[in-house]
Amino acid sequence: MKNNTVIPFLKYIGSAVLNSYGMLFFSKNKLFSLLIILVSFFTPFAGACGLIAVLISIFAAHAIGFGKEQIQNGLLTYSVLLFGLGFGSNFEMGIAFVLLLFTGALLTLFLSTTLNAILNKRGLPALSLAFIISTSLLIIASKSFNGIGLTHRHIYWYNEMFSLGGNNLVNLIQQFENWSVPDYIAGFFRSMSAILFQVNIAAGIILSIGLFIYSRIAFILMVLGYAVALIFGYAMGGFESGNMSYYNMGTNFMLVAVALGGFYIIPSIRSFLWIMVVVPIAYLMVIGLGSITFKMGVPVFSLPFCITVILFLHMLQSRKKQNKLVLTPIQYYSPEINLYRYTNGKERLLNEYYQPISLPFMGEWMVSQGYEGSMTHKGEWSKALDFVLLDNEMKTFKLPGNLPEHFYCYNKPVLSVADGVVVEIIDNIEDNEIGGNNTQQNWGNSIVIKHAEGLYSQLSHLKKHSFKTVKGAYVKQGDIIAYCGNSGRSPEPHLHLQIQATPFVGSKTLAYPVAFFNVRENNANTLKTYSTPKEGNFISNIIPNTQLQNAYNFQPGAIIKVAANNFANEEWEVCTSIYNETYFYCKELNAFAYFIYKGTAFYFTNYFGPKNSLLFQFYEASYKVLLSNNIALTVTDYFPLNIFKPNAINWLQDIVAPFYIFIKMKFEYAIQQDENGLNNNKIGFTSKRSEILFGKQKNIKTATVTIQNGQLHSFTFQQNNQTIQALCSN
Amino acid sequence: MQKLKYESPVIQKMNAGLMNKFGTRTEYEPVTHIDGVSVNRMMADYGSPLFVISERTIRQTYQNTVRAFKTRYPKVQFAWSYKTNYINAVCKVFHQEGSWAEVVSGFEYQKAIGNGVPGNKIIFNGPEKTNEELTLAINNDSLIHIDHFEEMYQLIDLSEQLNKKPRVAIRVNMDTGIYPMWDRFGFNYENGQAWSALNKIVASGKLQLTGIHCHIGTFMLSTEAYAIAVRKLGDLAYNCKTQLNTVIQYLDLGGGLPSANTLRGAYLPGADTMPSVDEFAEAITNALMNIGFAAQELPLLILETGRALIDDAGYLLGSVLANKRLSDGRRATILDFGVNILFTSFWYEHKISPAQAFTHHTEDMVLYGPLCMNIDVVRQSVNLPLLNRGDKVVVHKVGAYNMTQWMQFIQMRPNVIMIDEKGNTHLIREAETLAYIEQVEKMPAHLQQINL
Repeated sequence: MKNNTVIPFLKYIGSAVLNSYGMLFFSKNKLFSLLIILVSFFTPFAGACGLIAVLISIFAAHAIGFGKEQIQNGLLTYSVLLFGLGFGSNFEMGIAFVLLLFTGALLTLFLSTTLNAILNKRGLPALSLAFIISTSLLIIASKSFNGIGLTHRHIYWYNEMFSLGGNNLVNLIQQFENWSVPDYIAGFFRSMSAILFQVNIAAGIILSIGLFIYSRIAFILMVLGYAVALIFGYAMGGFESGNMSYYNMGTNFMLVAVALGGFYIIPSIRSFLWIMVVVPIAYLMVIGLGSITFKMGVPVFSLPFCITVILFLHMLQSRKKQNKLVLTPIQYYSPEINLYRYTNGKERLLNEYYQPISLPFMGEWMVSQGYEGSMTHKGEWSKALDFVLLDNEMKTFKLPGNLPEHFYCYNKPVLSVADGVVVEIIDNIEDNEIGGNNTQQNWGNSIVIKHAEGLYSQLSHLKKHSFKTVKGAYVKQGDIIAYCGNSGRSPEPHLHLQIQATPFVGSKTLAYPVAFFNVRENNANTLKTYSTPKEGNFISNIIPNTQLQNAYNFQPGAIIKVAANNFANEEWEVCTSIYNETYFYCKELNAFAYFIYKGTAFYFTNYFGPKNSLLFQFYEASYKVLLSNNIALTVTDYFPLNIFKPNAINWLQDIVAPFYIFIKMKFEYAIQQDENGLNNNKIGFTSKRSEILFGKQKNIKTATVTIQNGQLHSFTFQQNNQTIQALCSN
Repeated sequence: MQKLKYESPVIQKMNAGLMNKFGTRTEYEPVTHIDGVSVNRMMADYGSPLFVISERTIRQTYQNTVRAFKTRYPKVQFAWSYKTNYINAVCKVFHQEGSWAEVVSGFEYQKAIGNGVPGNKIIFNGPEKTNEELTLAINNDSLIHIDHFEEMYQLIDLSEQLNKKPRVAIRVNMDTGIYPMWDRFGFNYENGQAWSALNKIVASGKLQLTGIHCHIGTFMLSTEAYAIAVRKLGDLAYNCKTQLNTVIQYLDLGGGLPSANTLRGAYLPGADTMPSVDEFAEAITNALMNIGFAAQELPLLILETGRALIDDAGYLLGSVLANKRLSDGRRATILDFGVNILFTSFWYEHKISPAQAFTHHTEDMVLYGPLCMNIDVVRQSVNLPLLNRGDKVVVHKVGAYNMTQWMQFIQMRPNVIMIDEKGNTHLIREAETLAYIEQVEKMPAHLQQINL
């Protein structure tokens, strides 16, 4: 192997090993993994067995032909690690031991692969089931093998410590052991170390520190799980000490608490409350299952944990509505990141699934009747919108107002709300006189356009013979399709819009948001995204700016070269993932920035990679860009908290995050050009990041982006009190 | 009881008509208040004659006009035509409403800058632009509309000197079926000069071709003319895109929309015969939509409407000086304002209302102004109630052109006030004084002394 392939290979094996260790605590934090490895070697023999077992399984998986992605995350191999640790702590060294370690490691790998495949299909984790099965099997089988015997090392573990570090280490360990803390606190640390088959306070403390660094929420959950189990146990009047090791005592409950309180479920006050219910269930299992396995001569291991978690998750998945106690949609291997991402994404990205719908008119109209309107928007037809035009005296007509022609909205162009095919047109109904009503032909002249399967828009009360399109024609968003009239159930000219799931005139309505529009209130304009206009709102479409659109419509395969002082040159390639997500990839830094382009808006959804990159600066500067040069609009958005370097306050926030968020990272965007700016070759905007701490806003950073000739030209940002300009070229 | 007005007896020709117990009646109603402010009060405070501008009417008219276009076309911008009325307070109402500035001289350009209009929102039209004025406009990134080839070469020279690429448009004239054809401004479409100018501008590489402008005439009575103009401009714009590889970002349709005034010689009142602004908007936007541009490349529509936006908002208040009988027996009423300040009486048959109660008797009469000059006729023949010396009259729809084309001739120009939306009056231009007029006069030394 050449040098340039060896190093990446070692890196990959290394991260597979580290992740196998981290997975024991649901972590992918490298530092924490190193701590776990260190602690595992407190019992050197078992520690070595664990490491060897992991390596065996990684190489075996690699040799069989598993992909890098499958191996690297450690999901297949952490059960093997547990097996190695457990096996090493229970049996004496010998030839049979070596053979069994090897065989068992492979068995665990096979089990792990199969269980993962079976359970993951149902959205359930395999947890440490593979380890439990293989280790139990080996313990039972070992009784038939004479070449292997149970060890007493884990009982006389001081001996091992002595051989490792002499008197000093033993003294140090003893100091911890003799530490005069209440039993229930010592029990917590011992339980923590029991995850690695130890009963060592020092090990527990180191692991606790590592866990705290990795995740504040996970640590608190562990404490909570332990405490609930302890209280429940006392309430039950204690238990037979014979069945209960520290492993049983704490570990199962602590793991249940982390898994259900913050890992597979987005941490929240609800998830915390449920832990208090679920831990006692796990408790029952420990006692019950423990008694059964005891008869077979094997410990219960983490079986109660696995069963409780799988049962609970499966129950949650069977719900019809998933809005409370939310299952983690995308696993970031950190309760904090899961939480921040989820709450941020809920505000920003849930609407991705809607087809962007625009308003069916030009200029500023008023919603005269909204959803659940008092006049006609009732029952199954309640999710409809009526629009009229008003003058500045709030009149819909000019005097004398006795003819449809006197009404401002009459004979105004009506636009298609999205691309689609015309499936129905009614075009033979006369306009009513003002005050008249035609309930026989309730909808008047109408058009129904199909935008997608099960998504139709209907526009009604149009002017007779004003249609600009025909049945079967394809219309684009914003095309003029007809003119506003006064036909059907319409005492005065107005425009009726409803979204529906079926292609008939007068189908029942479907609540569906308008993607982007402007609401004017007291002469202040507000951008609304994916929301429903309210009755009385003065609303207008956002008119996109072609230059901004061209600049931000990054096509897959495009490469942007970026250069700035104090930074290495970067090349960003625009890529598309297998899930059709678009992202920038910076090869030099292995950085990814995911984005969405929606014609009217561009926004970043996620960033992975080093934060001292130009790509990250661009992510910050263009977090959300409204591709319109309407100067009156300010766009605000919020960053997920985990994206920036944490400080002490952030850690405090992490601790209380499931209950209360007091820090917000606000993003504001303002275009520098005005509404009808004709400056062909240049347009720019300023974006601002500020921190809101208990409602107090503090400006942190300002950035500008310049577009020239329809292409990204440059952006500036502040760093260490100086403004740095980055030049971009294609 | 108020003392009844005396009206001197007059013998009238018998008018055959249906008998009516109320006698003959007039269409006139006294106009005693404007926007709720008493006419008498204003004249007492500010003198007679007096121009009154209603801010509320300006804003309403502007918003109604803008709405007519913006509900039919996505990108619309109005530019206030300074020459129509460039009293700063008036301009600022338009700028507050979002209007840019359209100027036709260096003097107007300076006024727009003074009113705080950013340079890149000033459209610089007109056949005369000096090097200094153009330099300023180039440095301000204003939109310069080229009127003739000489100006184009002048701009190319300047852009080389300044090392800047000014944003320009050309003014195009064309046959839109209107007589007379306004072919004295800009480049002609039919004879190919316009296309040639566009070619030269792009080929020069020194100028940024941004838009195309036309102004097909004034007080247009046909919507179709605008549709034709749009089609012809659209044709040029489309060719610029396809053949010159230059995107035309805006089409400036100029002004020319009529107000509701009645033109001299028209048989029916203007308000009944003019197409409404909605009809013009419909014709213009329909034609724009049909040029063939995709939705996202539709050019910005700029309108330089002046008259239609301000005429209704202006009133002229005046007083009766005297009555007399002419040799042919007609009644003549002499007013304290004439063509010196009501320049538009050359074009319009202005509607004039008495500002106080009157009897039902009316008589055809001539209205003369105060000038000692034969041309000073406000109305050749108008049927009005009988007016006595000191009676007040209100002239309607005088907002456009009067306050720019008025002349200091024999009389001095009066106060101009604005009624704001809350009904407060503000003096926006003071009456002229002898000192004001003489401050620019110079007296040669040998003429200092006269000895009569």
